[in-house]
Amino acid sequence: MTITSDPTPRPLAPTPQVDRYRAPRPLLARDADSMYWMARYVERAEHIARLLLVHSNLLIDVGDLAPLFPNRQWQSVLRIMHLPHLPESDSPAAPLSTRIAQHMTLDEANPNSIISCLTRARENARSVREIISNEMWESLNTLYWSVRADDAPTRFDESPDDFYRSIMNGSMLFQGLTDQTLAHDQRWLFTQLAKHFERIDVTCRILETKFGLLRSAENILETALRNIHWMAVLRACCSIEAYRRNHLADIDPIRIASFIILERNFPRSIRYGVRMAHNAALEIRASITPHTPSPAERVLGRLDANLEYAETAEIVSQGLAPYLQQIQATIAEAAFALQKSYFLH
Amino acid sequence: MFDSYAAHGLFDEMFLTTGDPRPHYAPLAARLRALGPTAFNRRRQLADVTFRNQGITFTVYKDAAGVEKIFPFDLVPRIIPATEWDHIERGLTQRITALNLFCQDVYHDQRILKEKIIPPDLIYGAKMFRREMFHVNVPRNIYIHICGSDLIRDNDGSYLVLEDNGRTPSGVSYVLENRAVMKRVFPSVFGAYRVRAIEDYPHNLLQCLKYVAPNQTDDPTIAILTPGIYNSAFFEHSFLARQMGVELVEGQDLVVENNYVYMRTTAGLRRVDVLYRRVDDDYLDPLAFRSTSLLGVAGLMNIYRLGNVALVNAVGTGVADDKAVYPFVPDMIRFYLKQEPILPNVHTYICAREDDRRYVLDHLDELVVKATNESGGYGMLMGHQSSQPEREEFADKIRSDPRNFIAQPVVQLSQHPSYIDGHFEGRRIDLRPYILFGEKVVVMPGGLTRVALRPGSLVVNSSQGGGSKDTWVLEDESDQ
Repeated sequence: MTITSDPTPRPLAPTPQVDRYRAPRPLLARDADSMYWMARYVERAEHIARLLLVHSNLLIDVGDLAPLFPNRQWQSVLRIMHLPHLPESDSPAAPLSTRIAQHMTLDEANPNSIISCLTRARENARSVREIISNEMWESLNTLYWSVRADDAPTRFDESPDDFYRSIMNGSMLFQGLTDQTLAHDQRWLFTQLAKHFERIDVTCRILETKFGLLRSAENILETALRNIHWMAVLRACCSIEAYRRNHLADIDPIRIASFIILERNFPRSIRYGVRMAHNAALEIRASITPHTPSPAERVLGRLDANLEYAETAEIVSQGLAPYLQQIQATIAEAAFALQKSYFLH
Repeated sequence: MFDSYAAHGLFDEMFLTTGDPRPHYAPLAARLRALGPTAFNRRRQLADVTFRNQGITFTVYKDAAGVEKIFPFDLVPRIIPATEWDHIERGLTQRITALNLFCQDVYHDQRILKEKIIPPDLIYGAKMFRREMFHVNVPRNIYIHICGSDLIRDNDGSYLVLEDNGRTPSGVSYVLENRAVMKRVFPSVFGAYRVRAIEDYPHNLLQCLKYVAPNQTDDPTIAILTPGIYNSAFFEHSFLARQMGVELVEGQDLVVENNYVYMRTTAGLRRVDVLYRRVDDDYLDPLAFRSTSLLGVAGLMNIYRLGNVALVNAVGTGVADDKAVYPFVPDMIRFYLKQEPILPNVHTYICAREDDRRYVLDHLDELVVKATNESGGYGMLMGHQSSQPEREEFADKIRSDPRNFIAQPVVQLSQHPSYIDGHFEGRRIDLRPYILFGEKVVVMPGGLTRVALRPGSLVVNSSQGGGSKDTWVLEDESDQ
């Protein structure tokens, strides 16, 4: 058998456009920072809205059955959102619930009000407008203008519930659009980190504050009333139906804490959030420095492993408040490490 | 719809003196009449909501009512027939070519000064003349890559160039968004016309930026340098970055190292090859220009001089759009291109010249006086609408710094029906076309038609409360 070479010389095929090497689009450190805070402020606004919604409904249920208790519940809302106390008011005669609701919703002087959070989220979005999708921008911008509209205070006065629901829906729409219209590259990963950090932090504070409050009120509340308050805790964490599915209507504080902290598959649990955050940190790091874990990733990885193998008994023996505070501190440490690694180039 | 519309003896874009619409406006007039005021108003509201939700805003410095405003948009488009546009396009191409040759000359051999076409002191006295650019070679010898030459129409309908903007002309994002909103809100009106597309502007701009990339690479890294979100034109910077798929950077994101300029990313430093800078020369580099600037990058001019980064537009182009140099542009066209200018200038008095200055001071109430290097309608005196104290104040300014002022007779500016408070009134308009100078000259068909919204006003700038219209250049029907 003879080997013959092809006598007809064929011209070299030109390199098709698709084969040419293109370096991946970089993400500016400042843009990563903005993506992170944009997502974090939206998540925060949603939590504030949910807290206020749950509390206004709670008081409809329990009203004046234990007169001083509602005020303490309302004040706990401030505490959950890291706010020390209510500032001097124009209308000090108004009930505490109204003043707190006002302060937390449309008061621009409060940096942790819904309007302040959405304003900051939107300003961050504006500065990264060119790297987010049009849908994300339009949804957040529309949400922003809805709380800034001239009729916003009127709508809020007429129906606070509808107002809070519109914030929550707006946040979830924004998050859905983020997931569905943005490539899941670094930009998306930073939003996920931010969202989960905020969710974990607020959930820890809800549990810690409410547990303290309800434990100390055990002797002044009857069982039925207590159960309503415990259910409100679940509602504030958006977990009541998932809890019932697992534990039926059995309202037991330890079970509630365990569910919210350790439930593996429920997206609102702390364990789930930590796992998501860890995964995001890992993916970010893998796309940049494939071999060495980043500091944020280490911190989150350890916490993830702890929660993966944690048992209710150890939470009880350590004490719920210290346990939750430890988680919050770890998340803060991870956030700081993230900032150092990626935002401060 | 147009029953109460009056022409006021001005050149009207839409209507002839008989009251009939001009032929190219006839289908539009018919559609608007058929639509009626209520439906029209609904569309207008829909347009406003669209602009608001998409955040197509402009920041006005003078206005106390909040920082961000929607750039007022008038739904009635301005229509230019193909033959008119052909004339404009040739004139603008000629003009930008001459201006580029002028910049190249004035920063190198200075033939135009040596042959006494332009007095040297006018150039050396130009605030925007940059000695730092002497004998600096710029990529492809292109200085003005993007130019906005403002056009107006006089009483007889002829087009004149009012001024060139060769530093950082803005407004093209509104042109593109206006067209998108018109299509969304008024699709039926398009049906009666064949309007030339403008959506390829970002692509053309990107090609132009790639063309001047200095370093040997087929995939140059291009970035837009913005002063940040509080700058009045930030929307445009963000818009163009998105449309072209390039990074949007601020001074703080950039660092100069190893004879190159880099941007800070999550993965470390990435070299930048071309910087479309929307920051004025003065603020570009604290080591070369204003030392207090936080908007620029220390050391950028060094990298520029080395030829390791391209800046678009080049540093120093302000010498070409200085209002006292503007009267010499026809001379530049004759000198460099050996051609007669296709588009004429507006007659201009240069206060640095004694005769002109005396005339200006004697006729302040008839003239428009402008500072030579302001933009946005600031630093102007509308003589015929001014008070005696205002004129005296300006007279003092002229006497103390004559080089800094020019004056022009009031050009009437054409008027166009615009929707004001529920009916149509005539408002003055101008046109800012956008010309790209890369491997070839590309003139975007149309541009930004700016509307002076205040009644009787001749000042169209957005910072003075102006608005805009969509501009339609019609396809050449003779091709069919």
